[in-house]
Amino acid sequence: MMAAELKAGDHLQAVVRDVTNDKMVEFEKVVWDRGRNSHSDINVAKADGISRTIASGQNQMAFLHELMERNFGDAWVYGGKISARWIHPVYAGDRLTANGLVTEVGVVDGKPRVTLQVWCENQDGRKTGVGTASAGQPSAKRSWMDARAKAGAARVAS
Amino acid sequence: MSEAEVGSKAWQSIPVGDDLGTLDYVLTEQMVADYRRVVDNPQAAYPTVAARHPANLFYRKYASIMRVPNMGHDSEYFNPPVAGKRITISGRIKDKYIRRGNAYIIVEATAVDEDGRMIESSCLVGLAREVGSQAAHEKIAKKWGA
Repeated sequence: MMAAELKAGDHLQAVVRDVTNDKMVEFEKVVWDRGRNSHSDINVAKADGISRTIASGQNQMAFLHELMERNFGDAWVYGGKISARWIHPVYAGDRLTANGLVTEVGVVDGKPRVTLQVWCENQDGRKTGVGTASAGQPSAKRSWMDARAKAGAARVAS
Repeated sequence: MSEAEVGSKAWQSIPVGDDLGTLDYVLTEQMVADYRRVVDNPQAAYPTVAARHPANLFYRKYASIMRVPNMGHDSEYFNPPVAGKRITISGRIKDKYIRRGNAYIIVEATAVDEDGRMIESSCLVGLAREVGSQAAHEKIAKKWGA
């Protein structure tokens, strides 16, 4: 199955996610527990100079990743690049939308390369994170999911 | 105000190119499942987004003198990590500079798994805040009333 090729001016299918306090706290613990910090604990936040906890930049990065994964599949996961800056605080209760706009389709090292503006904005339309990303033309493949499914099946069989 | 006056003594003491050494951990199935649940993305390919490789390497060496709140991230992704594999991360101070009166430190980390597969390369754009004299998020509070 082929995925539709993108051209300059195309918008990606956006990703919308609600930010909750519970998920902000948990995000600081998954994969690598960072202990209490200004993203998870109000007292630490106050000590760091802010009146309430704010979501971490990597929390926004997770939403931008999903945007790119959903729209590009393997083309993002194997060889994607992103440069993002966090420009406005994100709070519990915010609804973030991750967006992408294709700005250029070119050729890099003999392969098609799609460049985009990417950003997250909150429920008020205020941008909270902005940047650029690039990947090959979208792929319908999700090879990383297939590989994990095979690994799981192998474990069950053994 | 000169650039030298803007950057704190701690910032000035950290050399560009400084080797931050290596760390390693095993990415478990549970970690992958937990990450996917927390971000509401059952297919998330890179749970390492939450691992903050550059920050962890930086803080192991400099936590006592410097905080580097995440102002941005530049990353390249090569192969998604496989659950059960050990990941080794290595890092260095890639750059530091003054911009609009603020001192920044760029921390680079690369991640490779036990089979030698390159996972990702990422750079933390950290706002340099000296421990004990500069609250980590003071700038955000002033700018946004946070």
